[in-house]
Amino acid sequence: MADPIPAISVKRLCKEFDGHEVLRDIDLDIPAGTTTCILGPSGSGKSTFLRCLNWLEIPSSGAVFLDGRRVGGETNAAGKVTVNRRELAETRAKIGMVFQHFALWRHLTVLQNVTEAPIQVLKRPRQDVETQAMAILEQVGLADKAHVYPHALSGGQKQRVAISRALAMKPKVILFDEPTSALDPEMVGEVLAVMRSLAKGGMTQVIVTHEMAFARDVSDTVVFMDGGQIREVAPAKEFFAAPKTERARRFLS
Amino acid sequence: MTAWLSAIGIALSLPLGLLLAIIRWRRVAVLDGVLAGFVSLIRATPFVTLVLFIFFVLPSLGIELKPIPAAIVALTINTMAFSSEIWRSALDSFPRDQREAAEACGMSEFQALRRVIFPQIWRSSLGPLVSEATILLKCTPAIAVIGVVEITRAASRIGAETYEPLPPFLLATVLYTALIAVLVRGQRYVERRVANRYGYVAP
Repeated sequence: MADPIPAISVKRLCKEFDGHEVLRDIDLDIPAGTTTCILGPSGSGKSTFLRCLNWLEIPSSGAVFLDGRRVGGETNAAGKVTVNRRELAETRAKIGMVFQHFALWRHLTVLQNVTEAPIQVLKRPRQDVETQAMAILEQVGLADKAHVYPHALSGGQKQRVAISRALAMKPKVILFDEPTSALDPEMVGEVLAVMRSLAKGGMTQVIVTHEMAFARDVSDTVVFMDGGQIREVAPAKEFFAAPKTERARRFLS
Repeated sequence: MTAWLSAIGIALSLPLGLLLAIIRWRRVAVLDGVLAGFVSLIRATPFVTLVLFIFFVLPSLGIELKPIPAAIVALTINTMAFSSEIWRSALDSFPRDQREAAEACGMSEFQALRRVIFPQIWRSSLGPLVSEATILLKCTPAIAVIGVVEITRAASRIGAETYEPLPPFLLATVLYTALIAVLVRGQRYVERRVANRYGYVAP
């Protein structure tokens, strides 16, 4: 029985860049505790869509709800979006994000990267945060790297730190923007393993990825995008066994 | 006198330059344009002209400054303008995803600047900023035009009185070199420490 209020709910989301329509009328509900993979050819708008969920890209129109609460700001009658910075920051604190190129803060150690936001944003006591951060690093297998600076890590290790940084905020949802695309093949596995265990633990994850095997085996739902629209939403097994749309069939073959 | 004026000028102009750069980087309406014009104007004005302007023209606008404060204001405004361009280019070239990671964690813009961006850009801007500081130091003889006695002025006075210009100017050169060496040494020291600790110099 799924939670009646979806973790993330997207209503008629549109995004334009300079008059060019990148996302058109997107509606989507993501139930809490599920892992959703967003697939699609490059240029289909999937990364832009993901970035609209925490308003790193500000939607041109439409709305995103986190646990039923509107993200970012209001759209007035004329369709113009106003951003409420303070509220947006509060909501963003509940949405973790993992980037393709890790985006670790280079002047901070691994441990400091993980503890920075909980201390600065959530104002939690340093001692607590550090204990929790060490537990997370233990969980992703990087406890021995806690006092190392990011430059000394491999890509796979950096991405696991980035995931730890997101986890330390105790988010409701974590967004992954092609988390393994910048990695050497032999490092992809260690990152996917972390995401797989998060999925088992009931973390709500939204993942833009090209890892088909991972999408098939780990995700609950697959969202297939093309041309700025959602073409198909289906349980992962169904999608890979029998895609309903012709475009998805071509994409998979 | 030279060392004091330079130190005060540097201490005031670098933070003010950063402030200017942040305002322009964030594209604050109106202010952005005004500051862009102001910075261009200051950068286009020869330093001697700026000093004379502040000392002789401002009083007619009701702002009267004694020579030393006027010298400090001139040095500060001049270096502020140049350093703001250095800061601004550092802000512009700061990796976007690191900034986005800060925002995605719920940091405010100010928190991101203070905790993530500034700790990195001051390191990468250190070289150009120190070279700006040495230029400031070498601008100080120009303030002699409003009667402030600094190294060069003192040297030329002694030279004129003793009819022996070589020793005082030699000494002046040695003093400038020493002052600049202090700045450059400081820069090297910090750069080495940063490189040792983080394994990189610039982001």
